[in-house]
Amino acid sequence: MAEALAVRNLSRRFGGLRAVQDLSFSVQEGETVALIGPNGAGKTTSFNLITGYYRPDTGSVAAFGRELVGLRPHDICAHGLARTFQVARPFGKMTVLANVMTGALLRDRSLDGARERAAQVIDFVGLSAKQHAPARDLTTIDQRRLELARALATQPRLLLLDEVMAGLNPTEIDQAVALVAKLAQRGLTIVIVEHVMRAIMAVATHIVVLDHGQKIAEGNPQEVVANQDVIRAYLGTGYAHAEPVGDARC
Amino acid sequence: MRHELLGRSGLWLGAAAAVTLVLPLVSSSFAIDIYIRVLLFAFIGVAWNLMGGYAKQLSLGHAAYFGLGAYTSTILQIRFDISPWIGMLAGGVVAMLASLPIGALCFRLRGPYFAIATIATAQVLMLLFLKFRDFAWGAEGTTIPNLGDAPLMMQFDGKAPYYYIALALLAIGLLITYAIERSWMGYYLVAVGEDEDAAEAIGVDALRMKRNIYLISAFLTALAGTFYVQYIYFIDPNVAFSFNISVEAALVSIVGGIGTLWGPVVGTVLLEPTSALLQSWLGSGRGGVQLTIYSLILIAVILYQPAGLIGVLTDIATRFAPGRQARAKEAPLDG
Repeated sequence: MAEALAVRNLSRRFGGLRAVQDLSFSVQEGETVALIGPNGAGKTTSFNLITGYYRPDTGSVAAFGRELVGLRPHDICAHGLARTFQVARPFGKMTVLANVMTGALLRDRSLDGARERAAQVIDFVGLSAKQHAPARDLTTIDQRRLELARALATQPRLLLLDEVMAGLNPTEIDQAVALVAKLAQRGLTIVIVEHVMRAIMAVATHIVVLDHGQKIAEGNPQEVVANQDVIRAYLGTGYAHAEPVGDARC
Repeated sequence: MRHELLGRSGLWLGAAAAVTLVLPLVSSSFAIDIYIRVLLFAFIGVAWNLMGGYAKQLSLGHAAYFGLGAYTSTILQIRFDISPWIGMLAGGVVAMLASLPIGALCFRLRGPYFAIATIATAQVLMLLFLKFRDFAWGAEGTTIPNLGDAPLMMQFDGKAPYYYIALALLAIGLLITYAIERSWMGYYLVAVGEDEDAAEAIGVDALRMKRNIYLISAFLTALAGTFYVQYIYFIDPNVAFSFNISVEAALVSIVGGIGTLWGPVVGTVLLEPTSALLQSWLGSGRGGVQLTIYSLILIAVILYQPAGLIGVLTDIATRFAPGRQARAKEAPLDG
């Protein structure tokens, strides 16, 4: 299996705060890697460093054999990395269809081609019934679906999902997990930042745990939930010897 | 179904075109003057709207390009005897070149800061041209030599030819807007206007989009500048770089409907004749009564129809012809 993403010694500080420190991990093609950690651990910052929204102070990010540091976000997207935002950012004035078409236009400048491609993706995420609704009128879960559809329309090789399940109810989480699993089955490489442990255990093949900007553990889901450092980071030292709970939602 | 609808709107368009073409032949000179101002400001509004409306880069400095267009053609005409028709295009090119450094500086800023920076660019140009006494006549300005009826030098006896030139400019502006709106560029521009970071995330080069639309917008605005000084036979820095031009360009678009094809036209058709008629009825002497009424109209529109008057017109149109809603959903902003 080839390496899809290689993060090497990535660091970034904001004033006195070391948001990400010396972070290294790699993602193989076809894997679903989860980036987890308590609030403020540096997960979203890592995403922003990988996708070109922040410039790292030191370190490198390579995807499919190409160095990404220094590229602008749109270049990185053109290289095959699509991301979603923690708070969905639809183009509110546009319809759902127009939103997704805008993503599809990256690979196909013709409106007809983009419309066709967009319709397929909208169908995949289950938004067909609302494709002519203005994006600003969508509910939270539908906005997340739209965000996912728009990213998928750019035909990525690597998809970076930033807390797509935050704020969803249990039924909606199941639907979202099913969607992510379906994408993984199709062979898409996925990096997912998530708080909902149930979702992570269901989709991740590999987990990287961050705390205070540093990687404190890494491994397959079973290894990680049994790791003492991880339990300490999430629950405090008092729980260091507690039994891991597979369904914990942190 | 679709053919029939296209046929019907085609009919309307044809009728409207016929009326606009015949209008100057049956109107008084005073009326034609108002029409010309309507067409010209609608055109400037259309040029502004490409960037301010679709990409939501609210410029309040479009007078910079209006003035550069006006000065380029005038200098070429008076100093080098070059026809303003050529000078007009040259002015457009000069404006495009000027928009590159101005854009490079201003596009670093967003929202109101961008608007303030663009005001400064137009003001700086005005001050520069006040100082350029040697080749641009400084603060005194200059009259443009009257050659009588000289179509090749963009000078005409009656007002009707000016009317048709302004009409042609507006038609060009609308065609360009229409073409952009119905292409990938329209989607990308609206995406940049809605959320630059989200647009970048799906592969939109936001800076390039802004730069490119600024080039087009500046070019078109400069054409208006040349036309205007040819029409009034006079130029000085206060006319060419007037803050009013910048404000009017934004205002007609905002009142008519920002980011829509016909918005600037609708806005100008309401505002320009109102302002001209109020001024001629009430005069400018009585403590600015006409300005007060004009402002009240503006306040009313912005309070009660913040999306612009085009929304009202669309509502009326759908009430009388419900089928129109089913029109091909091509443009990025169509429901």
